[in-house]
Parts: sequence; C-alpha cells; structure tokens
Amino acid sequence: MTPDSAQSPKGRRGTRVSKSTNPWKSSNHNSNSAKKSENRWSQLFISPFFVMFIIFGFLPIAYSVYLAFFRWEPLDSSQNFVGLENFRNLWNDPIFWQSTRNTFSIWFFSTIPQMALALGLASILRNPRLRFRLLWQTIFLVPNITSVVAVAVVFGQLFGRDYGLINYVLQFFGVGNIDWQEQTLASHVAIATMITWRWVGYNSLIFLASMNAIPNDLYESASLDGANRMQQFRYVTLPQLRNTITFMLIVGTIGGLQVFAEPATFGGNLSGGSAGQFSTLTLYLFRNVQEYTAYGYAAAIGIGITVIVLIISAINFALTRRIASEDAKK
Amino acid sequence: MANRNFVAKFTFLLAALALLVGGLVAAPAKAAGKVTINIWTFGNVIEPKMKARYEKMHPNVKIVTVNKGGPDQLAQALIVAFQARRTPDIAAIETSWSGLFRDYPSNFVDLRKAPYNANKIKNNYVAWRWAQGTGKGGEVIGLPTDVGGLEVAYRVDLFKQAGLPTDRVKVGKLWPTWDKFIEVGKTYNKKMKRCVDKKKNKTCFLDSSGTLFQALLNQGTQKFYKGPGKVDYQNRQVRNAFNQTGKALVAGIGSRIAPYTGDWYAGMNKGSFATLLAPAWQLDYIKQYAPKTKGKWDVAEVPGGGGNIGGSQLTIPKAAPNKLEAWKFLSWYLAPAQQLTVFKEYGLFPSAKTLYNTPAIQGYKDPFFRNAPIGKIYASGALKLKPLYEGPKERAIMSIYGQALGRIEAKKQNTSQAWNQAVADIKTALNR
Repeated sequence: MTPDSAQSPKGRRGTRVSKSTNPWKSSNHNSNSAKKSENRWSQLFISPFFVMFIIFGFLPIAYSVYLAFFRWEPLDSSQNFVGLENFRNLWNDPIFWQSTRNTFSIWFFSTIPQMALALGLASILRNPRLRFRLLWQTIFLVPNITSVVAVAVVFGQLFGRDYGLINYVLQFFGVGNIDWQEQTLASHVAIATMITWRWVGYNSLIFLASMNAIPNDLYESASLDGANRMQQFRYVTLPQLRNTITFMLIVGTIGGLQVFAEPATFGGNLSGGSAGQFSTLTLYLFRNVQEYTAYGYAAAIGIGITVIVLIISAINFALTRRIASEDAKK
Repeated sequence: MANRNFVAKFTFLLAALALLVGGLVAAPAKAAGKVTINIWTFGNVIEPKMKARYEKMHPNVKIVTVNKGGPDQLAQALIVAFQARRTPDIAAIETSWSGLFRDYPSNFVDLRKAPYNANKIKNNYVAWRWAQGTGKGGEVIGLPTDVGGLEVAYRVDLFKQAGLPTDRVKVGKLWPTWDKFIEVGKTYNKKMKRCVDKKKNKTCFLDSSGTLFQALLNQGTQKFYKGPGKVDYQNRQVRNAFNQTGKALVAGIGSRIAPYTGDWYAGMNKGSFATLLAPAWQLDYIKQYAPKTKGKWDVAEVPGGGGNIGGSQLTIPKAAPNKLEAWKFLSWYLAPAQQLTVFKEYGLFPSAKTLYNTPAIQGYKDPFFRNAPIGKIYASGALKLKPLYEGPKERAIMSIYGQALGRIEAKKQNTSQAWNQAVADIKTALNR
C-alpha cells in the first residue's frame, strides 16, 4: 500500500495490454483519433463514479453547509435563516469542546497500541516458520466484519462494573472494581480497546503487505553484517515502512475523529455518559439530530468536525513532507 | 462534432442508468394485483403471527414490516420520510416520541374523518393512551398499541431474608407513597448489609433509582409542557419528581446498575436487586433472561398508584399509498379481541379498557410470578393515570434530565447542582 507498490509492475503491464488489444481501435483510423476516442470512452466509463459522488457525496455536503445557517424544524418545514448564530453557539458550546477533547483522547489510546500491535502481529505473520498462515490472516480480519451490536454485547460483559470479566480478573489481583462507565479515563480506555480490537487485524494485514514488498537482499546483507532479528526489524523493516506508517496514521486519524459506534453502544445511548465523559464529536452531532431534532446546529457541528480534520490533515501533510525532504537529503 | 457525439453517448448512458434504477425501485410495488401494506416498526410492535393471520384472512393483502431497530431510529427515519414524501402505509410511534409528532398532525391522516371515523371506537381505549395519539387540534393521528404500565416486581426470597413481609398485598401496603418506598429501601439495605459494589453477593433494594423519575412524572398532571407551544420544564411537578428521585439516589437504595446492561442481566439472576419498577413487557425480560428465578418473583402495586413506560401508536402518514387498506389492518390489529390474543401470547398489556373487566384479564395469573394476578394489578394501575400534554422536545428534555440523575447516582453532583446544570443544558438545547 505504499505509493511505490501502488505503481507496481502489474499496473504498468495492464496499460500495455489494453493498448495493444484496444477494442475500439479500428484499422482505418489514424492513431491520433483512436487516442481521442479512447480518451472519450474512458471518461464515459469513469463517469458513474462522479455521478454517484455528486448525488451521494457532493449534494449532501453542500446541503448541510446550507443548513448550518438555518434553524430548521423538520416537521413543519419552516427554515429560519439565522446567519452565523449556529457557529457562534458552537464556539461557546462546552459540550462540543469536551467532545473534541474526548475524541482526541480516545484516538490516542486506540491508535498508538493499534500501530504497535499491528506491527508486531505483521512480523509474526511474516515469520517463515509460521504454520496455517492463511488461517491466521483470516482470523485477523474477523473483528473487522463482526456486527457492532454483537461486539457491544460482548464488550458490555467484559467492562461491566459489578460482574464484568475484566473487573473479576482485577479483583483477583487485589485491584478494586473500576467503574468503566463513570470514570473519564477508564471509559476512554474501554472504548479505545473496542476500536483497537476491531482494527488491529486489518492494519496488520496492510503492514504485512508492505513488509512483503521490502526486497529480500536488504535482509540478506543485514544478516551478513551480523544483525539479529530485532536489529533487522529496527534498522531494515521500520525505515522501509515509514510511508505506510504515515499513511495509516493519516487514515487512522481521520477515522478516529469520526468514532461513533463504539461510544454509542458502550453507553447504550447518545449522551456519552452522565457528565458527557465519553461523548465524541460525531456522537454529539448525532445527539443533536436524533434527540434534540436540531438539524441546523448539527450541520454546524459537522462543519466543525470538517475544519478539525482539515487542520489535522495539514499538520500530517507538513510532517510527511518534512520526512520526504529529509529522505531526499540523504 | 466529436464532442456532440460524446454528449449523446453520455446522455444515453445516464438515461439507461436512470431507467435501470427506476425499474428496480418500481418493480416490487407491482406484485400481481395484490395490495401491499408497508409497516415501519421496531421490536415486537407487529407480532409476526398476527400478521400471518391477517394475510390468511385477506388473500389479496401482503404485509411488509420493516424493523427500524428502535423507537429513536424509527422516529428519525419518519422525519426524513416526511421530507421526501415517501412514507410507509403505517408507522409505529413510541410514546417517548408522541409529543413531537402530535405537534405536527398535518403529516398524518386525520383518522376522525370518514371513512375512518376513529372517534367511534375511542371509548374502547384507556383515555390517556388515546390522548397520546391525538394532535394538538384534536386530530386523531394514531391508535394505541399496548399499555406499558408500571408495577413493582420483587424477590420474595430476599424480602424474607431482610425480614420484610412477602405477601403481595402486605408488600403493596408497605409503600403507599414514594417516601415510604425509599424508607423500605433503606431498611432493606441496612438489614442485608450487602449493598456494596465490591461485594460478591451484592444485593440492593432497587436496580436503578433513575426509573423513579419517569414513574413520578407520569403519575402527575403536567409534564414538560403547559399546552401547545408552551414549554415549561421547570414546573413544580417536574421539580418534585426530580428531587424525590434525587432523594432515592442519595439514599443509595439502588444498585446503580443501569437497565439492559450486562450487569443488569447478570444481577437479575444473582439477586443484586430485590425490586424492579417493571412495565408489563419487562416481566417477559425476567422470564427470558433469568429463567432460574422462577417462583422467586412476585408483583405488588407501585407507590402513588399507576405508571407507564413504553407503548406505541400506529399511525397512517398522509403520503401513504394505501390508506384505506392500512386502516383496515390497524383497526383490526388493535381491536380489543386481537389485543387480548397478543396479551395472552406475548404478554403485551392491552390498551383496550373494555377488556379489563373480562375474566380473561381479571383472572390472568402467571406461575412464574407465584401466580400473581398480573392482569388485575396492571389493569387497575393503567386506569389510574390521567392524560398528559406532551410537546415536541419531550425526548430531548427527558434525555438531559436522565443524564443529570446519572450524575447524582455517580456522586459527581448533588441534587440541586444536577438540577441547575440540567435546566441550563435544556435551555441551550431548545435554543437551537
């Protein structure tokens, strides 16, 4: 999944094949007009994506931007223009900022262990002595396709205060019962665990794919130089994976800012705990839609989330560019 | 020239795509002369067996139920459907959402009018349940399904251990008021000495004191609205209900286990709580999730008299394609005779009060609950409530008060701090 592997020889071969057996190319056309017609057809073939994108992507976004300037009662379809009031309210809304903090905290507790675990699992999967490799890879993907409701039921049993399995184990070691719902930090850790469990297998498969793309001679020369397995991992695998790690961090951050299902099922409702201790940005957005029927304000929250994502992406972009230019210096 | 050709091809492709999509959408609607009634529902509002029975009686009718997951999701989908003017023929609206939809009756068929003439059957139903399907101008937008009711399910074995009476009439007399209920709770916890979180054999008097709030509100005459368009969520009845619940929370009579969580199901089996404020449909949960406690539970009257949690109305949206067929089905399904069948087979308590004096209800006993006369107890409770006005932001206000009570329970705030924050939170939420 690195930018390198995206332009793998396979892709290049693909274009060559399509050129030589171009079905639209007829013998009496000169090559210039054939190219033109090919271009036209290719535009036609990619157009369904853009049509779908305009209908299901662009129009809803545009409409929600429009909506953010209104106070809207959906059932009598009265829309009152309120200008920037929704945004002013948003700026002064303590629950919005609390949800922002919570979201970042949950992101932190889920992303760091996720990356570390995924790297570890991927290198285990890469071990040539591992048996039933395909079986393991399949098992790793299972959490990702399990229904959220089933996951919620299981984790609800794990994180119960009185009869949860984790507290049972903790009690065994003499640690008191943790109130997973009511304590801020504990609730973040619990939700982050659910997220980590869901994504770690998927991430490790992506790591595995790009690890397999690392040329073997690097390892061979490293082992000739007397590097052991750990050193090989540290000095060969990790630097080679830098692009992948950056990519996963960006995707993970954008996903992490939209975390919804886990806190919703963890609390069993949209309030995110009695003091909003695990209310996240999208959870709060959804609460405004579903419980408060405040569509205009919810649209404003949506724009707020977009702005935060843009800021984070800009930081990511700057970091990536710095890494790239450092690479160039070498 | 080439450009125009491209545009023509492109348009052709788009048209083909549109035809394909249109065909796919339209196809199921035209099934060989049959009338299809589309119903949006959640949980077991429409019992599958009853649906099949109706289809057998009316071979030209096909009923398609779409389960929207829960009452909130259904209400959400319905709001969107009204915008798009593409609605089902029948939509279930749970009572926590009736306030919103009652405020906008023009989205529904007014069932008072011919050919429906719903007011003719009005007196078959409990008055306050009927009112939950009445628009602000007197329009009838829906008929009531079941009555949730609210009584106290209690553990006889645990009451015995705590030295409390076990006979259901005597138990009911222990708590004519909520104050007395809290006192009994304190006595229980003091005697048992096990209402402690870390105890393995933890047992408290009640599951979660938060349920008191809704029970208290429904026993009153005013909730969060004075009348159409007049929100009044700080009135004395609400304040009293909040303070009373706060008192129960501070007294610590509850086990702080929220209903429908893993701890709750486990606690029901382990006796973590000796009482539950149970709507009729919740008795079925006890049977299902704690089958081994059979014969240990009994049912007594709730303090203050009567109560309700849950229940729905079945409505016909104005944009429904088959209004008359929809009406035929829902008036059949909710008629007293069918409600009785549903009660017997699924335990949903009827809203048809004409049934209440029949032997079928009066004589109904459940061996799981030591042969408690469930029918009699819930019927008398259901008749004690009065109609309450509900407004559009009912759901928002309830949710914020519920959160505030959670803060008292978690000892994050005292009752007046929680109240003040809740009032401020509601004010901001309603201003959007």
